[in-house]
Amino acid sequence: MKRVGIFYHKSFSQRSYLTVGRRLAEFPGALGPLLRDPAFRLLPSPEAPDEWVLRVHDPRLIPAVEADPL
Amino acid sequence: MAAAEGLAEGTFERAFAFIGAGGHHAGRDYFGGYCCYNDVVIAIAHLRATRGVRRFAILDTDAHHGDGTRDLTEGDPEVLHVCICGTSFTSPDGTKVDVPLPEALWRGTGDPDTLYLETAGAAFAPRARAFRPDLTVWYFGFDGHRGDYGDMGLSARCFLGLADLACRIADEASGGRLLTVLGGGSRTDLATTLIPPIIARLGEA
Repeated sequence: MKRVGIFYHKSFSQRSYLTVGRRLAEFPGALGPLLRDPAFRLLPSPEAPDEWVLRVHDPRLIPAVEADPL
Repeated sequence: MAAAEGLAEGTFERAFAFIGAGGHHAGRDYFGGYCCYNDVVIAIAHLRATRGVRRFAILDTDAHHGDGTRDLTEGDPEVLHVCICGTSFTSPDGTKVDVPLPEALWRGTGDPDTLYLETAGAAFAPRARAFRPDLTVWYFGFDGHRGDYGDMGLSARCFLGLADLACRIADEASGGRLLTVLGGGSRTDLATTLIPPIIARLGEA
């Protein structure tokens, strides 16, 4: 058995950019049976600081994403 | 980033990262296709800078080409990026590969799950074994599932098979370390029924 870290944030279930809906509406509840096994740990998915986004992306991308109507 | 850190530190062997927006269509100065920032490449940059992890093998089985990931890793010989999509391409150094799905899948003359799994396995397994990554990354989209927006006629059997493939390669090539990042797919019913058994398989395989 392997140890599995599951990274999740409640905002992922409230709205999904991918669907403009709630494709993850049933989470984390749908993981309930799995989480009874100590090998599986549900952990918070913290926000990535802008500093790290900017190591990969052009600085103009952040305001462009923030201005996106979706 | 947190999932990648946990893998690098040995807190766990597998990680599954849920997302709020996609990543693999986000390039250096563009975004779209329901993707904002390239989560996988940001995690790679973070591990390199903070943990000295250098080599990454990415299997992208989202229904659409991972153009943003390709843009950001082009010219980086320490990232193997194998994308199962609609085009055929191999970079001169062999680390950037697009593999088209067989015609039979599109014509509907073969079992889609079997055709997809055979294609992904043949494309990724030998390359990843030879590449010897420090970390294996599976970009898992379920948009190719029957009835979703990238419908390829796939079923749960295919996605569980891909989980087994990713686990096997991680065990053989990267010390068991596997980061699975959720990609595309839109249906709540599919997410609810597919994702828990996929995560379970990560722990079992």
